[in-house]
Amino acid sequence: MLNNYNGLAQPFWQNGPAPGQFYHFTGGQQQIQNLPRELTTAGPYGTQRNTARITTGSSVLGIRFDGGVMIAADTMVSYGSLSRYQSIDRVFKINEKILLGGGDDFADIQSIKRTIDQKMIADQCRADEIEMKPTELAMWLTRVLYNRRTRMNPLFIDVVVGGVNAEGKPFLGNVDLRGRFYEDFVVATGFARHLAIPLVRESKPAGREFTAEEASNLIRKCMEVLYYRDTRNTSKYTVGVCTPSGSVVEGPYKVDENWSFASTIKGY
Amino acid sequence: MSNLGFQQFPEYQVPGVQQADFSPYESNGGSIVAIAGDDFVVIAADTRLSSGYNIHSRDQSKLFKLSDQTVLGSTGCWADTLSLTGLLKVRMQGYEHTHLRTMATDAVAQMLSITMYNRRFFPYYVSNILAGIDKDGKGVVYSYDPIGHCERAFYRAGGTAGTLLQPVLDNQIGHKNINLSSSELPKLTIERAVAIASDTFISAAERDIYTGDSVLINIITKDGIEEKKLQLRLD
Amino acid sequence: MSTIGTGYDLSASQFSPDGRVFQIDYASKAVEKSGTVIGLRGKDCVILAVEKIISSKLHEEDAAGRIFTIEKNIGMAIAGLVADGNYVADIARQEAANFRQQFEHAIPLKHLCERVAGYIHAYTLYSAVRPFGLSVIFASWDEVEGPQLYKIEPSGSSFGYYACASGKAKQQAKTEMEKLKPNMETEELVKSAGEIIYKVHDDLKDKDFRFEMGLVGRDTNGLHRINPAEYTEIARNAGDAARKDDDSDNETH
Repeated sequence: MLNNYNGLAQPFWQNGPAPGQFYHFTGGQQQIQNLPRELTTAGPYGTQRNTARITTGSSVLGIRFDGGVMIAADTMVSYGSLSRYQSIDRVFKINEKILLGGGDDFADIQSIKRTIDQKMIADQCRADEIEMKPTELAMWLTRVLYNRRTRMNPLFIDVVVGGVNAEGKPFLGNVDLRGRFYEDFVVATGFARHLAIPLVRESKPAGREFTAEEASNLIRKCMEVLYYRDTRNTSKYTVGVCTPSGSVVEGPYKVDENWSFASTIKGY
Repeated sequence: MSNLGFQQFPEYQVPGVQQADFSPYESNGGSIVAIAGDDFVVIAADTRLSSGYNIHSRDQSKLFKLSDQTVLGSTGCWADTLSLTGLLKVRMQGYEHTHLRTMATDAVAQMLSITMYNRRFFPYYVSNILAGIDKDGKGVVYSYDPIGHCERAFYRAGGTAGTLLQPVLDNQIGHKNINLSSSELPKLTIERAVAIASDTFISAAERDIYTGDSVLINIITKDGIEEKKLQLRLD
Repeated sequence: MSTIGTGYDLSASQFSPDGRVFQIDYASKAVEKSGTVIGLRGKDCVILAVEKIISSKLHEEDAAGRIFTIEKNIGMAIAGLVADGNYVADIARQEAANFRQQFEHAIPLKHLCERVAGYIHAYTLYSAVRPFGLSVIFASWDEVEGPQLYKIEPSGSSFGYYACASGKAKQQAKTEMEKLKPNMETEELVKSAGEIIYKVHDDLKDKDFRFEMGLVGRDTNGLHRINPAEYTEIARNAGDAARKDDDSDNETH
């Protein structure tokens, strides 16, 4: 895409005018006078920023299997300890090759999601039938998040990126608020990091990947455990599945809850 | 807003305002050992990526192949490691295109030092050890502190178990505190270097919770790089 | 034009005594020289089709495309200067992106068309710039508004259409389009588009051309697609057949 009107455009020739320098017609011609706040120099007393998370999502769990990846997250978005929003999807289909599960501050997730969605539209406008791949999105996220943390103005997000790469090879990775990135057959955020990862690792067959069925059974099991044990969870969750034939987000599913044991708990 | 046009910050804690301090750093653990011989160099790093009591990955290589003759081991804050090594790769590619040859190990060592010192006041929180073959075909090890101090050596341990392993290397490779004449000392061969590197990691995995899972060993000679993998304890 | 050289055609900021802005007329000339482009509105789809005249055999076959994707569900086709088209396409994309950023849904075509028309019009007001040598056709489909089709002229005026055409064979194409029945299904519409473009192509003046199309509708899941293989095939076949028909008609007479 041409990008001539951002004020940072190269001049037509040495010392010459930049595209759009002379006139400011209607539309996107205004030069960007105000750089984003995190790019401008600090005032004499420095800059004060909000450094707290407000509305947060807890667990996201991603599992890689032989033909793709699955990413699951419950539908809770909390406001502190309040169950503020109880049916919000936190697993997103980015395109036919990418799924994204968002944990931590939900406003920041929505913000980065908007930017990603616009990238996908730019992708489609190119009309070359080439889609962004999950590795590329994950690397882009590391750069954005690392730059923000370096400016001490982080995006408080912890995301699971999954999908299939060009040769149909499954990809599953995690990027956190500092730009830390790693790939593995199981990645998680929030409480799932403590509760789900060991369960999944334990059942990993040596020398081969999970099958799709094993992966979906594990997701069901883990979401149940998380619902019982993580206070910032609901019993509803959505699951994204990405294979070479495309990506879908399914659900919401309900955890198969059973409280019949509750009456047997006595003495507290 | 004051009449000066900027916001005055209160000098006291405002009641009801939550302050969550953000730390840009995080220690993700990991150890590196590098041992240089006459015409080879061995560099090893474990594959555990952790923060606190969480193990994020049991299979994360911390060795970065920068050229056929140079390998960088980098641990500490993983986000910094990724950024730093990414930058190094870009710069090395730039060098290759402008000078039509691959950067020599010594040149990489110097560049790494400068690149890190560029961030003197907001350092890359990393422990780097660079291993390679130098211009004369000799094995060489460079070690760094987070702000780019660079020292050429023959053997070095770094990372979370660096302080644990360095004395072992001092004794076994540097022959410190050994009362033997030089003719009685064992010769440093590739096999011996690999064996000692492996043993140090087995020991480190016993005592350092941030080191474990497995160890990747790269043996660099003039003919290229040979890779080995050794299982460590998983707890 | 008899009034050429009267001195009122040097700038877009000056009227001639008989109330014309010659620079705009000249821009329209650039459009009239261009290969024909049409837009057709069907039941749950809109099609854009162009007769891309191949000026050199050395071009790659997809070179100098005149159909663009602006938003997920918005396509744009141009008649006139391709370089101007690229630029305006980008302005339109910016408008669409900007709207989405603020309102979190795709820009309504009416609104996009207004904005781009305003932009094109601004280039007819100043002495230091020249108008765009463009006729721009926008097409979109969505569940709420259904199929929509708009055209902007070099002057910056714009209208909504059931079917529209620009370029060399504009008149001929309009005559053909008036014969069409409204609310066609996708496949029928695609065939009609192919037939019209192939029929209005003048073999004697321009030897070679490539049929290109953009399609948006329910059958494309609300996405604007450029030269989708299955439909392009249908259109080209229909076009070829129509042209052969025409030729044989001429022979019998």
